[in-house]
Amino acid sequence: MKTVAMLLMVLSISAFGQDYTELMNKVNRAKPGDSQFLLRGYAHSGFEQFGESSSFVGGSFNPIFLWRQSDKLLFEAELELEFEHGGTALALEYANMAYQLTDNLTVRAGMFLLPFGTFSERLHPRWINRLPSSPLGFGHDPVGPMRDLGIELRGNAKLGNRSLTYSIYTTNGPSLNTSADHDLEEAEAGMLNYQNQEDNNANKALGGRLAIFPFSKPSLELGLSGQFAKVGNHETDYEETMANLYALDFSYVNNLTFLKGVIDLKGQLNSINVDEAAYFSDEDSAFYTFENQSQVSYIQAAFRPAYLRNAFVQKLELVGRYSQLATPEGSHWETNQDQFTIGLNYWLDWRSVLKIAYQVRGGGDADPHAEEEASDHGDESSDNAILIHWAFGF
Amino acid sequence: MKRSRKSIIAMLSILFIGSSLMSACSSQNTTPPKSGAQLWGENCIRCHNAPPPSAFSDDQWEIVAMHMKVRANLNSHETSEIVDFLQMAN
Repeated sequence: MKTVAMLLMVLSISAFGQDYTELMNKVNRAKPGDSQFLLRGYAHSGFEQFGESSSFVGGSFNPIFLWRQSDKLLFEAELELEFEHGGTALALEYANMAYQLTDNLTVRAGMFLLPFGTFSERLHPRWINRLPSSPLGFGHDPVGPMRDLGIELRGNAKLGNRSLTYSIYTTNGPSLNTSADHDLEEAEAGMLNYQNQEDNNANKALGGRLAIFPFSKPSLELGLSGQFAKVGNHETDYEETMANLYALDFSYVNNLTFLKGVIDLKGQLNSINVDEAAYFSDEDSAFYTFENQSQVSYIQAAFRPAYLRNAFVQKLELVGRYSQLATPEGSHWETNQDQFTIGLNYWLDWRSVLKIAYQVRGGGDADPHAEEEASDHGDESSDNAILIHWAFGF
Repeated sequence: MKRSRKSIIAMLSILFIGSSLMSACSSQNTTPPKSGAQLWGENCIRCHNAPPPSAFSDDQWEIVAMHMKVRANLNSHETSEIVDFLQMAN
């Protein structure tokens, strides 16, 4: 009897040992290594009506790749895949590595979204932007730099209970379109081109942003950005032409208990100042010049009654935005426009939203910067538009 | 040129007002350190809706937090507090 009991015990231990080994193998296979990878991103599509023309638009998909190599090292990259002109367009939004130097200071190198104001760096993704369109001059071909190749130091500092954030960077910088440049249209003379894979001169742009949070709760943020660079091509008459770019931004986001909701106010002003230069007009066979200053701005207010008891109403959000665009008088790309947009959003979850908006644009001729601002398709010269978009973050 | 002057005056005014508010408010440092939940609630909504803790796994939160640390200029302490809260609550 004792022998049988011993035998059963040995068999049980053996079986348990096998189960334990299999279990440990499964655990070891699932155990993460030092490298951690995450795929995030967003997508959108919609319907737009400009005047009498209408179209389904969008179909864009922006995957974001994140590699966390260690506690200090991160690589981030974003692609944009978009259905455009009957084909699929692929663009690199950014690709850079960040290394944490200290608890408060990080260095980034590669192609990164520039901290020139906040819209381009933080607010432009479709699931974050509260309206289906971007403000005038803040779209994919913006009046002001959006992304560039270079190196950046960024961090924060505490002043008592308050804080400030800072960023300083050097990049290739913008280049100046001139009528002497045969690759470009004469109409663009004096305009800055911000998409430079290689620098057009030996001078590097120097820029940065300083933001202050005046209160202990970071509900209010006030930011000042600048970027300074020589923008003319090497060994041309324009080589010493300087561009001084400034941006002012503010953000106020807070829970308003008496209104049982969240208020979100945002605004930004970009001021682009380029030294005066003479450009050749083929049409008149003569040089002409103008005061080369452009300005774009927007102010936006959103309110979401997130703390009301009604489950449907708490997912609604009302948004209004006013934006302005003014390019140099006397240039071939002169325009002066403003735009008012009002919208209603329904949040399906924290990162998926259905956006409906009515947009009125006034003043000026066709906006040379607005190819993708208000829509991906449609007749943008029409004043009024109905925009219905669906954005999905993941 | 007028536009440029106006812009610069506006920029300096905002910085001056901000600096004044900061100096006026930072005379005393009596507020206790913020919890991870508080930091999560205050910082995420600066740009987008605050994600619920269940949105990501513990490992994923480590990556998301590092990404947001760089983008939102958070310091290591704040990031660590937020991650601890999200991992505990998910």
